[in-house]
Amino acid sequence: MKSPYNFKNIKKFTQGLIVTSLLYSTIIYAGTPVIKIAIRDHLFFPSEIVIPANTKVKILVENHDPTPEEFESYELNREKVIAGNSKTVIYVGPLPPGNYPFFGEFFPRTAQGTVIVK
Amino acid sequence: MLLNSVILILQETLEAALLISVLLALNFQFRKSWTWLPYALIFGLVGASLYAFYISPISEWFDYVGQEVTNASIHIAIVFAMVCYTAIVSTNIAGRAYSLAAALIVSLAILREGSEILVYLSGFVYQTEEFPAVGVGASIGFGIGLSTGIIAYYTLVKLPGKWSILLPLALLAIFAGSMASQATLELSQADWLPYTAMLWDSSSLISESSIMGQLLYALFGYEATPSAAQVAAYLGAILLLVISACIPRYYRRVTQQC
Repeated sequence: MKSPYNFKNIKKFTQGLIVTSLLYSTIIYAGTPVIKIAIRDHLFFPSEIVIPANTKVKILVENHDPTPEEFESYELNREKVIAGNSKTVIYVGPLPPGNYPFFGEFFPRTAQGTVIVK
Repeated sequence: MLLNSVILILQETLEAALLISVLLALNFQFRKSWTWLPYALIFGLVGASLYAFYISPISEWFDYVGQEVTNASIHIAIVFAMVCYTAIVSTNIAGRAYSLAAALIVSLAILREGSEILVYLSGFVYQTEEFPAVGVGASIGFGIGLSTGIIAYYTLVKLPGKWSILLPLALLAIFAGSMASQATLELSQADWLPYTAMLWDSSSLISESSIMGQLLYALFGYEATPSAAQVAAYLGAILLLVISACIPRYYRRVTQQC
């Protein structure tokens, strides 16, 4: 007579499911590491960044020069223009271990760097 | 500095010039007028200027990935315009639709390539000591790109028989694939598309930073380390264009229209 599928149980189950998924989602969304790279005088600071292997990483590029620069990397398959005195976000990874060079396409002779994946 | 600006402007100009020369070659084969071209050029340049001028606020949209989203949208719009164009020339629809499709492709391509050129050049307006070198380099690069486009046009229109239409259409399909692949790359850069595994690594064969690699990139959208999503998008776009070229003809044969 008393079925386990009555309304009260379903409501409690759904509430529990929502709370659990919210908890998991904060863990997942909080997990993307952020690394900062600054562009100053057509140079990258730092020019070498180390990120963990097989992890998605958010790179925050801040261009402190008044001129625009283009962050480009053939190995990372990333290309983005950053206007003068602006910042932007570039996602990289997950990547296998290795060295992935990047450069500033507008000033390639000085703006060079490497992403080291360990 | 001069050499760098030559290479940069050449890359961008070449991509647009090849696409425009393919469309003009087809224009010639289908005996259509050129009247849509000036409008397309003007709209493209105006669009490129607006995009370059507003690159800062646009880049901040969608949590700092506005640039990728906008570029991907432009690339997808170009693929869509190419599908419409192929369907239109396969069914011989009225001239207005043809002109609109062709003009749309050209103006979007100029918008995309031109905006990057303008952003680059705008950075040197305030650096008066380097601007002459950059200006000369940009002009040289533009000249080489333009010349290559003109040579490509005359090569394509001189092709014999059915190749005069088949080869440009095949090139158009490849350009569509390249656009779709770039759109996919941009959206993964913005983290709007999930990660897909790298399908192959041909950088030991043809490196993307080599001259051959750069040329193949401009022509075919060559990627040394493409992701599965990119390859799927590339092939999918080509398939779309083949379908849009064949279905109208098939439909016509079925319904026995002349």
